Amino acid sequence: MKHETIETNAGWLIVLTMIVISIGGLVEIVPLYFIDDTIETVQVDGKDTIRPYTPLELRGRDIYMREGCYLCHSQMIRPFRDEDMRYGHYSLAAESQYDHPFQWGSKRTGPDLARVGGKYSNAWHVQHLMNPRNVVPESIMPNYPWLMQPLEYKDVADRMRALRLVGVPYSKDTPEYEANVKQFGKEVADKLNIINAEANLIAEAQEGNFDGNRDDITEMDALVAYLQVLGTMVDFSKFEEGYFATFR
Amino acid sequence: MSALIEWISQMENTKPFVLVLFFVTFVGIILYIYTGKKRSKRLESYKNIPLEDDEHDHHKDTKDE
Amino acid sequence: MAQSTATAEQYNYDIVRKFTIMALVWGVLGMTTGLYIGSELAWPFLNFDIPQITFGRLRPVHTTLVIFGFGGSALFATSYYVVQRTCQARLFSDGLANFTFWGWQVSVGLAAISYTMGYTQAREYAEMVWPIDLLIAVTWVAYLVIYVMTLRKRSQPHIYVANWFFIAFILATALLHIFNNFAVPVSLFSLSSYSYHAGVQDAMTQWWYGHNAVGFFLTAAFLGMMYYFVPKQAGRPVYSYRLSIIHFWALIFLYMWVGAHHLHWTALPDWTSTLAATFSILLLMPSWGGMINGIMTLSGAWDKLRTDPIIRFMVVSLSFYGMSTFEGPLMALKSVNALSHYTDWTIGHVHSGALGWVAMISFGSMYHLVPRLWNTKMYSEKLIYLHFWLATIGIVLYISAMWVSGIGQGLMLRAYDDFGNLAYTFIETVSFMHQPLVIRALGGLFFVSGMIIMAFNSFMTIRQSRREKAELDAKLAEKLAQA
Repeated sequence: MKHETIETNAGWLIVLTMIVISIGGLVEIVPLYFIDDTIETVQVDGKDTIRPYTPLELRGRDIYMREGCYLCHSQMIRPFRDEDMRYGHYSLAAESQYDHPFQWGSKRTGPDLARVGGKYSNAWHVQHLMNPRNVVPESIMPNYPWLMQPLEYKDVADRMRALRLVGVPYSKDTPEYEANVKQFGKEVADKLNIINAEANLIAEAQEGNFDGNRDDITEMDALVAYLQVLGTMVDFSKFEEGYFATFR
Repeated sequence: MSALIEWISQMENTKPFVLVLFFVTFVGIILYIYTGKKRSKRLESYKNIPLEDDEHDHHKDTKDE
Repeated sequence: MAQSTATAEQYNYDIVRKFTIMALVWGVLGMTTGLYIGSELAWPFLNFDIPQITFGRLRPVHTTLVIFGFGGSALFATSYYVVQRTCQARLFSDGLANFTFWGWQVSVGLAAISYTMGYTQAREYAEMVWPIDLLIAVTWVAYLVIYVMTLRKRSQPHIYVANWFFIAFILATALLHIFNNFAVPVSLFSLSSYSYHAGVQDAMTQWWYGHNAVGFFLTAAFLGMMYYFVPKQAGRPVYSYRLSIIHFWALIFLYMWVGAHHLHWTALPDWTSTLAATFSILLLMPSWGGMINGIMTLSGAWDKLRTDPIIRFMVVSLSFYGMSTFEGPLMALKSVNALSHYTDWTIGHVHSGALGWVAMISFGSMYHLVPRLWNTKMYSEKLIYLHFWLATIGIVLYISAMWVSGIGQGLMLRAYDDFGNLAYTFIETVSFMHQPLVIRALGGLFFVSGMIIMAFNSFMTIRQSRREKAELDAKLAEKLAQA
């Protein structure tokens, strides 16, 4: 075939362009689904310690996305000495394996949040979200007073069903529940049960009392619950030094 | 044929093979485009396409006046 | 009169005019939003505790309005103009062309409104919720059909190279949009959805999309613009047509590999980001090949720099294209990226490409286009000069401020004291960045002012064209009455 044919024939131009632009993406994306080492195995006593979000955490994550938090906060700690000292152990691929979509972020206008869970008290988070300058005077983060409004949670089961369709192991029947018991243990499997989604959400909000008010379930409850779980699912003291490096 | 597929599916074979393939294609395109006086002349003649349509307009401009 | 009717029949200029006007409108709105969110970072009280205008919700409004609203409309306008002029054929189907106009404008408008209300997919530059994604997909297919059908109607045997770039941009954008937006809606009547991919695969897919939105939407397509409007304005053919062919194939091949350089040092496997870094370096060659081709085209017309403000826009845009395509591969090196990633350096880099290259070449092309579309002269040449200076000073302020802020923060975050402890807390870097952020906002103010002046100048040009036409009609009627 002569180049002249390509230049003068729109069909050939399209076909060749399509081939040329497809190669890069195919080579870089497709193997990520098939190479086993891409996502680390993180098990303690034969159980996965990284689990999907509970209904309340899930709704908190939805609010995190709604407010565009990912535009100023990353959730991806890199393997450098300064980041290790500032934020903790570098992030594993396994830690975001249930994140649809991923929230690694691209900019740190504020600090990384990948391991913010457990670093501050619930009360601190509420103060900080209501008015960041109350606790960090130099902060440039906006205030989020409207997070005290009631949480919309009627569709939480629908949300879990949608996530189940894209591969998150929320259970909709007994065999799936049993499989979750095997993979995560009973306590976690109960929270991943779609049938009890709403009841679980209410119970967790009241029990956790994240916003400092037990009577109502607010968006603050959900968001703080989500922030407090970030980066807490892997207990690095349980793994040998250098174990996670074998996956890199 | 199946032996060939087996050989190419090994990562250590795929990488250099693909590298050579891309490079040869690239060199081929360069050679094609820059060799041959007639071809060069033909290719370079296309650069006037955007300027030719103006003559069209000028023609009309003068007719109007 | 006879002339403009003849042109109206020969080419569909109406659709080009519509998209040009909308490019100006979105340009003003999108850049003003950018100025506002930039100011929010310098003076956080500007968030005013109003959910709809907080930084997190307005930032996608800014990116969507400038990339898809301003950039997209400018591309629709110029590509529809270029394909008709270089094929010497009328655009295929007026109805379908109008559909792409409304489909695109409604998508951009709805996207902006929905972000302020908190409806988002939370994927950078692909924040539109799923029903808008579907509308975009349909509009885009119509665009492809129009483009290909017009190419098939051409009276020229050869397809001019600008059209190759536009075709690659249309195809690649379709591919990226579709694969990156795979998602399952929460329910049929919910605007929320969850992406098909998760975690590391999702990150790779998203940045394959994200970087090629830069590579094809903001580069290849604007190169198509360059390959038509630079030779036109200079009155000389492109320096080397053969170079443009190599430029095309090398650029579209290499770009698709480099997205993973946004994910250096993350949980993405090392082999992927090494591959991306390598291809990013290689990409320097076609990028500079294209830049040299553009600059050399202008090189015989240097005398026009003094008399033609449009040529100035083009020279500056090509210079910034060269600058940012050098800076890009540099930042794709893993060692440099370790410092630059997550900082304002990235923001500065994006804007040296987006303001310096994309916006400047669009301004130049549109100043060329507007008088031709409305059959008159620009209302004021002085205002074009003013716009040029405001824009250029604005960009320089903007990217210098971001270098200081980004490199400064990067260095502070990795500094240790004598005992090996971290020398600065995170919030100390935030305080340090206040001054650069103020200067950045000032740079933005300059740039936005230029954009507003351009919109005003174009508006007055259109008004002037209407008046001229009315006068001409009146004269004609008078003559007819006398006869």
